[in-house]
Amino acid sequence: MFGGVNDTATSNTTSHQVVLPFYGYASLAYLAATLLLVFSSNAFTGHYFHPHILAITHIMALGWGTMMILGASYQLVPVLIERKLYSPVMAQISFVLAGLGIALLCYGFYVFDMGWPAQYGGWLILFSVLLYLLNLAISMSKSKEENVHAFFVFTATLWLLATVTVGLLLVYNFTHQVLSHGSLDYLPVHAHLGIAGWFLLLVIGVGSRLIPMFLISKYSHPQMLWWIYGLINGGLLSFIGFFLYSDNRVWLLLSVAAVAAGLVLFALFCFRSYQQRIRKKVDDPMQFSLLSVLMLFLPLVFLVVIVLLLIFDPAGNTVFVTAYGFVILFGWITAIILGMTFKTLPFIIWNKVYHLLAGKQKTPNSKDLFNESVFKWMSLAYLAGFVLFCGGILSQNQIVLHAAAVLLLVSSVLYNWNVIRLLLHKPAVL
Amino acid sequence: MNVITNNQLKATVALAALQDVVDPEIGLNIVDLGLVYQIDFDEANRKVYCTMTLTTQFCPMGESITLAAKEALKACFVGDEAIVELSFDPPWNHEMISETGREFLNNQ
Repeated sequence: MFGGVNDTATSNTTSHQVVLPFYGYASLAYLAATLLLVFSSNAFTGHYFHPHILAITHIMALGWGTMMILGASYQLVPVLIERKLYSPVMAQISFVLAGLGIALLCYGFYVFDMGWPAQYGGWLILFSVLLYLLNLAISMSKSKEENVHAFFVFTATLWLLATVTVGLLLVYNFTHQVLSHGSLDYLPVHAHLGIAGWFLLLVIGVGSRLIPMFLISKYSHPQMLWWIYGLINGGLLSFIGFFLYSDNRVWLLLSVAAVAAGLVLFALFCFRSYQQRIRKKVDDPMQFSLLSVLMLFLPLVFLVVIVLLLIFDPAGNTVFVTAYGFVILFGWITAIILGMTFKTLPFIIWNKVYHLLAGKQKTPNSKDLFNESVFKWMSLAYLAGFVLFCGGILSQNQIVLHAAAVLLLVSSVLYNWNVIRLLLHKPAVL
Repeated sequence: MNVITNNQLKATVALAALQDVVDPEIGLNIVDLGLVYQIDFDEANRKVYCTMTLTTQFCPMGESITLAAKEALKACFVGDEAIVELSFDPPWNHEMISETGREFLNNQ
């Protein structure tokens, strides 16, 4: 009656010892970034190419976004590809390399020393990404079925490798003439390799699996996901081509349109999953994650404005570029991490603490392991801080920027409070 | 729910015990979630066999849930050996959730 009886699924989860350091590092990086934001909020009234803004950007993109995604994906990739992670040791080495590298690189940016701190930092990050890619490739090669989610994750990692490689070249270009133009000229390519190639593909690849799973939704549409995959990769490749080889900036709108079409399809995918959910009540972390899908459209609006300004008034776009970067890193990426942390981390901790106690005593549900009211206050502080800071950048108002930075710092303190509470959780007797 | 068994009476008792095993993320027990496929009893050798599935083959909660199912059966049939095996053929789908389970998820 029931074929293929086995127990392969019971021992293939990646150990919490591999995953938790990434969560811890990312949480501290968010705290560090918001702390620097408070002390450097004035920098946001000037040009975006400012050492403190560069440091905050890389703490957010690498220390916060990338470290969290690497950690979560070491846990989730086996679920996506239905195969065990090839090497937990390689994953741990990738953590050490990235952890050291990000700290060095961000220090280099903060003091604007493009010598050994930024260069060694860049190399360490590159080696870490190579290890991650290799681990992923070997794990996926053992997977028997073609899986659209796995394609998203693997392609995203290739784009991450490209982002880091270009980034390292840009660092060297400050002290040696490696490229034909100055580093600032290549920033849009470097940034969009990371934003659309790494973050967007990764978040859609993993999100399109997790959102229906957490909503307990019947919805599935691999063909739509393949379209999204094609549109975003096509948009990014055409953007690189147009940017490097065409002086006519109008063409860039075509790339933006392709990515926008991909985003609309992804939003539709999420909406259909939501409509067809079996679990009617959507919890707070999940609501936050769904909000982040809507927040994806905010950078798109800024991007269209930036491209139009590039065509008509190239000198007038710096405020919008700063706002664009902010709504991506502190908006969309932060919102999805704030939400998903409290969907994924509680069950990792539950597994660590209760997996041998299950069935022997009453155990709490995973959502009971963090404080929901602290989560609510964190969400409020974050949303208020985010909206105010955007307003501060656009109005170039230092008081608003400073107040907003304090609110974001409050959100990161509350976030860390809940994460530490989870990491230190001891078995509760019910 | 359609659980196959060679002893209907004892299976009812076993399913009642397995209703204490809850998926910690969803908050619903594994019986109403439709994860239990078959429960058989080997009276002569005092063994209870349970064939069950997971919502996804590499479910991170898989080990905890199967261990909990084993413990629940051992506590229910004291002295018997409980053997829990996983099957993904057929794979789990949403139609396997019981009416009670659907009501629970609707009102949660």
